[in-house]
Amino acid sequence: MKRVAFSPVRVALIAGNTFREAVRQRLLVVLIMVAATMVGGALFFRDFHFGSSELKFLEDVGFGAVTFFGAILAIVAPAQLFCGDIERRTVLTVLAKPVWRAEFIIGKLGGVLLLLLVFCTAMTALLAGLIAWRETGLMAAHPDAFEAGRKAAYAALALCGLAQWLKLGVLAALTLFVASYARSSLFAMMAGFFALVACQLQYLARDFYGVVESGWARGGVWLLGLVLPDFQLFNVAEKVAAGENLSVGVIGGLASYALAYMTVFSGLAVYCFRHRKL
Amino acid sequence: MHAIEIDGLTRDFAPDWRGAKVRALDGVTLRIHEGEVVGLLGPNGSGKSTLLKIILGLLAPTAGQCRVFGVPSDRVEARQGVGFLPEAPDFSPHLTGFELVCFHARLGGMARAAVKERVEEVIARVGLGEAMHRRVGTYSKGMRQRIGLAQALVLDPRLVILDEPTCGIDPSGAAEISTMIRRLKMRGGTVVLSSHLAGQVEDLCDRVVLLDRGRLVLQGSVAELTRRRGQAALLVDPLPDGTLGELRDWLQAHGVGFHGVETPRTALDRVIWDKVGRGEPAGAGKS
Repeated sequence: MKRVAFSPVRVALIAGNTFREAVRQRLLVVLIMVAATMVGGALFFRDFHFGSSELKFLEDVGFGAVTFFGAILAIVAPAQLFCGDIERRTVLTVLAKPVWRAEFIIGKLGGVLLLLLVFCTAMTALLAGLIAWRETGLMAAHPDAFEAGRKAAYAALALCGLAQWLKLGVLAALTLFVASYARSSLFAMMAGFFALVACQLQYLARDFYGVVESGWARGGVWLLGLVLPDFQLFNVAEKVAAGENLSVGVIGGLASYALAYMTVFSGLAVYCFRHRKL
Repeated sequence: MHAIEIDGLTRDFAPDWRGAKVRALDGVTLRIHEGEVVGLLGPNGSGKSTLLKIILGLLAPTAGQCRVFGVPSDRVEARQGVGFLPEAPDFSPHLTGFELVCFHARLGGMARAAVKERVEEVIARVGLGEAMHRRVGTYSKGMRQRIGLAQALVLDPRLVILDEPTCGIDPSGAAEISTMIRRLKMRGGTVVLSSHLAGQVEDLCDRVVLLDRGRLVLQGSVAELTRRRGQAALLVDPLPDGTLGELRDWLQAHGVGFHGVETPRTALDRVIWDKVGRGEPAGAGKS
């Protein structure tokens, strides 16, 4: 019998199949439509911009929608697509072929990452189009204010979309890790939502580390800060709006940070799944 | 050569937090030769599914060894040349039958150029040629079972493991699946068939293995196990009145014991199959 090595081709096949299944479940389409409606709806509420510029208001609402609906997708998709295969026992037909369990896990994650990429790209493109359209209108109405040309930084907008995708990727990997040992997709989803809240508030652990005195408490807080990724780091849209430059180096750093967490979470998922009774 | 070699296989489960162990398999030793069709029988909880999962490398044994074509079953290499149909598979309703079987063919290493032709051929063979581009969600139970069989056979495996392949299928569909198993046997394939239906196993298998509470309690060829030792039966046309008494007297006069008269019966599923004359149509809707 010839040796069966880990195969990127099989990983790609599982990822492609996962993506196709997810798209046909209409989850992606429904979430894109709802998020797009929310972004488009911001046009009707632009009078309530609470003092900020109209373009910034649109950007805030847009990335708010990407964060909220993207998080739902990043939690629901891996939980449903992975646990669904186990509950329906179709995983047995896949693993009864010469397929490593690690290939199955990484393939599932790959499919979900592709799904999130489509979501973030579509939403960022929609937002950029909307901002460009409004900016053109504003330029015609107030030419003096736009003497120096367009104000919206579209390249930075694209990088903000990329940062959102990286964050959602980490969340999907975390949910997949939970799903790898969870008995039901509902449990995986609930755990995913709790993890999302914890990761959003991770910066509190860092702040607490600075003030706490007990050694044990400091150790615990330090460990918590290490285990949970800090999702605030990915909110670069606010920094861009505040006038900070978003260099490729910053995005590179974020990508490395996200990749490290994705690697750890998928490694843990592979470990749990290898020992799981099917 | 042995397709499967099992030596002293034991599997314990710890179903609760207290760790009270349940022994699902208890020292099972078994050999399955290449080209053999073996029926795995036993009541619920007898360990059939556990045994199949260990053969497929989906579960590790607590003790003992299992080899598939000479390779330990926990190695990925052991799954080369193996096709598996789980009990009542519920494939993704969002994929078409064609896409599903293509996915499994590519996953098993089939070259991209050969996939389309092979998949169409195997789907036609299981009788779903006309429905292959419909989504699995629109298939009836029998059609799902058949597409499951197609994914198990698409790589032309040397060993096919079928877990309750006719579960929930009407008699004509079950008869078609039986025909496919016979074809596999004629081509020299090894088949392990787990079933509750003793009649089906008797009809299809060369050898029967009976499990009970994790132990192998009986094994042997169907002919061996079903033969009534020391007895013979004659099949004759209906006897004219009074002939039976003469026959009995004659047999007794020649020292042959006479135990009774039975009218031969045909199995009910055979009657239905003969009446219907065909399997479930491929274009049938969801039932």
